[in-house]
Amino acid sequence: MRRRSRNLFIAAFLSPAILLYGGFVVYPLIQAFQLSLYRWRGVSQNRKFVGTENYQKLIHDDVFWKALQHNLWLLVVGGICIFVLGLLIASAMQKDSRLVRATRAVVLFPQVISLVVVAILWMFMYNPSFGLLNATLNGMHLSGWAHAWLGESKSALPAVTVAFLWYAIGFYVMLFGAGMKGISEEVNEAAELDGSHGFHKFRTITWPLLWSVKRVAAVYVVVNVMNVFALVFLMTQGGPDRHTEVMLTYLYEQAFSNNQFGYAAALAVANFIVAMLLSFGILAWMRRDPQAARS
Amino acid sequence: MKKVFANVGLMLFAATVVVPLLWVLITSLKSGPEIFGSPWSLPKHPQWQNYSNAWSEGGIGRYFWNSVVVTVATLLVLLPVGAMAAYVFARFPFRGSKTLFGVFLGGMMFPNFLVIVPLFFLFKDLHMLDTKQGLVIVYVAYSLSFTIFVLTGFFQALPGELAEAAMMDGAGYAKTFWRVMLPLAKPGLLVVAIFNAIGLWNEYSLALVLVSSDDNRTLPLGIANLMMVQHYQSDWGALFAGLVIVMLPVMAVYAVFKDKIHQTMLAGATK
Repeated sequence: MRRRSRNLFIAAFLSPAILLYGGFVVYPLIQAFQLSLYRWRGVSQNRKFVGTENYQKLIHDDVFWKALQHNLWLLVVGGICIFVLGLLIASAMQKDSRLVRATRAVVLFPQVISLVVVAILWMFMYNPSFGLLNATLNGMHLSGWAHAWLGESKSALPAVTVAFLWYAIGFYVMLFGAGMKGISEEVNEAAELDGSHGFHKFRTITWPLLWSVKRVAAVYVVVNVMNVFALVFLMTQGGPDRHTEVMLTYLYEQAFSNNQFGYAAALAVANFIVAMLLSFGILAWMRRDPQAARS
Repeated sequence: MKKVFANVGLMLFAATVVVPLLWVLITSLKSGPEIFGSPWSLPKHPQWQNYSNAWSEGGIGRYFWNSVVVTVATLLVLLPVGAMAAYVFARFPFRGSKTLFGVFLGGMMFPNFLVIVPLFFLFKDLHMLDTKQGLVIVYVAYSLSFTIFVLTGFFQALPGELAEAAMMDGAGYAKTFWRVMLPLAKPGLLVVAIFNAIGLWNEYSLALVLVSSDDNRTLPLGIANLMMVQHYQSDWGALFAGLVIVMLPVMAVYAVFKDKIHQTMLAGATK
């Protein structure tokens, strides 16, 4: 009796969550994989099973490779900047002061405002006629450097990357900061007594001891970068001439402009697989705790 | 010397974060010619009508209320549903409960965009495309992972004796939850509510695909649309005012709950 009412309770309390999550998250997820094996333009009768045709098309699609390349560029260039700047800023924020407290108060602002605002804000920063960037360059008598930043093929992707960094870096500053706080005072003091300061101390003490935080950060960068959509979609629509196209903007175009829904599903699966491979690659590469190896 | 270096660096960083935001705020009070003439200057006379233009002619007022309705409705469904499931996961283990919990957590890792195409057609079949109700249901479903993850931790940390005492007094499982345990989990509910509210207020990609008419647009969709429209009308002052209206509520919430937000963010990341 008691047992039955317990089971009944469990079922009653879990079922709303299971229904919603199963129906609107898990079920479409399974369908995404299925759909990638069909040729389908959105009209139900004309759904045709084509096996791996979409994936074969993908391999020969130049735009797909271009988009993937741009994701990887964001990952490598963005990732290096996030690690270098994030670690520098986090270590400058270790000692308490008014400046540090003020910085901590604003560091996550770009992260909590909508990506749409970030995108529009940066479009205006780069705006050739009244943007802040060109106005500043003109003011410094560097008019020669002024650009249509988002309109030229060479500068578009770096310009988007800067906006991405501006948006993303706060979280990593906080993450690295928390990791550095976790390194005990004793270790720090011992190192300094041994005459280890500045970069030497960072290289021999801080960097290796941040092992687990670095791992988390690297996986987060992968997830962040593979998810990039709104920023590019709003700032450049992938242009000029696909010079900023990323996987998800291409997916959106194939699905909702070209009605190539099967192909779009294949793109989604490809995006998912790349993200998984990169994440697992990083986890495997950084699996060994250097401290554990030494003891 | 090193300290000076670090402080200058920090100041540069803080300025990089703050200056663009301040620029939006200042520009939102300028007149059209001022915006084009001198991006760095202050407005001679603050143009408050930029805000009323954005609010009524730009449609920001309607989008604002849509966002309020969708965010509040989502939280009203999400919090009880999530708390019920989290309570079971935390205190009533059963065969397969760990696996099921894992399935729920998995949702935090993959991008929403992976499912956008099937989701679009599921909505079409259910006649939920371009409805606020549909958007709310999807938002609840996609917020469950994080909500259950945080709340399960909270319920695990609550003392079990209280629940047992209530059960002894003859309160059933459900009554014990609603009357005793849920009120105790209030701090957890607050954290989850703040986090989800910020995310929902800002959500763009799902709404972009699932909502099409102007009547149902949320703020992020609305402001993006306003930007396209202003390319032709070029009332840029109103657009900047709109940007301020979108970001001010979240920045206020963030300023108040800063420490809580930092804690939860880092706890989630380092687990």
